[in-house]
This record gives sequence, C-alpha cells and structure tokens, in this order.
Amino acid sequence: MSLKAFKIVRILIAMFIGVIVSVSVTTANMYLALSAIIIGIIIMILAKRRVKDVMVDEMMKTIAYKAASIAYSTSVVVLALLSLILVFTNLDDQNTFNYRLGIVFSYIVLFSMAVYSFAHYFYRKKYGTDEE
Amino acid sequence: MAQMKNKIKVLRAEKNMTQEDLAKEVGVTRQTIIAIEKNKYIPSLELAFKLSGFFGKKIEEIFILN
Repeated sequence: MSLKAFKIVRILIAMFIGVIVSVSVTTANMYLALSAIIIGIIIMILAKRRVKDVMVDEMMKTIAYKAASIAYSTSVVVLALLSLILVFTNLDDQNTFNYRLGIVFSYIVLFSMAVYSFAHYFYRKKYGTDEE
Repeated sequence: MAQMKNKIKVLRAEKNMTQEDLAKEVGVTRQTIIAIEKNKYIPSLELAFKLSGFFGKKIEEIFILN
C-alpha cells in the first residue's frame, strides 16, 4: 500500500468512527462507540503494516521532538503558574473549587516533571554521559 | 551558528532523478529531501553517509560547512 492510499484509508476510518460514535451518542449505546473505536484501531494497525513507503524518518522525528519539547515546557510552566495563582488566591478558604483545581494542577506538574526526570535519567544512562 | 550548504540538488539533477526517487533510495520521505536541498534541515551523519554512498562522493564534497 502506498502512503497516499494509507492517508485515504485513515480519513475513511476517522469518518467511520465519527459516524458510529455520533450514532451511539444519539442512541445512548456506549458499546457501539467502543467497538467502532476498537475496529478502527485494528484496521489502522493492519493498514499501517501494509504501507511500503517511508512514513516516519529522521526529520519527522526531529520535528516531533522539537514540538514535544515546546509543548512540554510550555504546558508545565503554564500549569505551574496557574496552580500557584489558584492556590495562593484561595488560601483563606481551602474548600473552594479553585483551590482544589490548583492542587490538582500542581500534582499534574509534579507528575510530568517526575516522568521527564525519569526519561532524562534513562537516556543519560543509555548514551553513557555519566561515564568518563 | 554555522551554516551548512549542500550540492544534493545539483547531484540529483545530474542523475536525472526526482526528489521522490532519491528519497526512496536513501529511505526517507520526499519532504526530507526537499528540506535538505533548501538547506533548512541538516541530515544526520547516517543519512549523510547514505547520500554520499549513493552519489559516490565524499561527504565533504556534498556538504559544505560555511
């Protein structure tokens, strides 16, 4: 399968999932939506395996890396600032929704920083930057 | 920052190849070849070696560091 054919298949799958999910919402049938999504994922995996053209190369990976890096640093800083504002403006009444939201945001920031630190440690070990 | 230039476009034209053909030969997408030719993307050492091997030239004959 060529990359062009795969892109068409991908659009068709997205349309199929969209239609089935909207039908399942109107009929209040969760299982229909779930099965459509699972079938869509399976077809996508099978279609991906049949593609002979190069789909992801080093430039795509570089772009993905840079985009992920910016997305991570931006979202962490924004969430950290938001959590600070939400927590410190509601210190008097800690039962408010905003205060709790601030706490949740701060935990999300901590979690993402922990994942980043773990990944950083893993790759530092992998590429041996600790060794002399 | 140092600028890297290359002769990929000229060498490809000499071989009468399309960007698609070259991309297939070295195992990348056409977009990557376009970006390299426009000097917008500096290829990895691996890809540089593949290109030099394909064109039968030394890396320094294809890529020039300004």
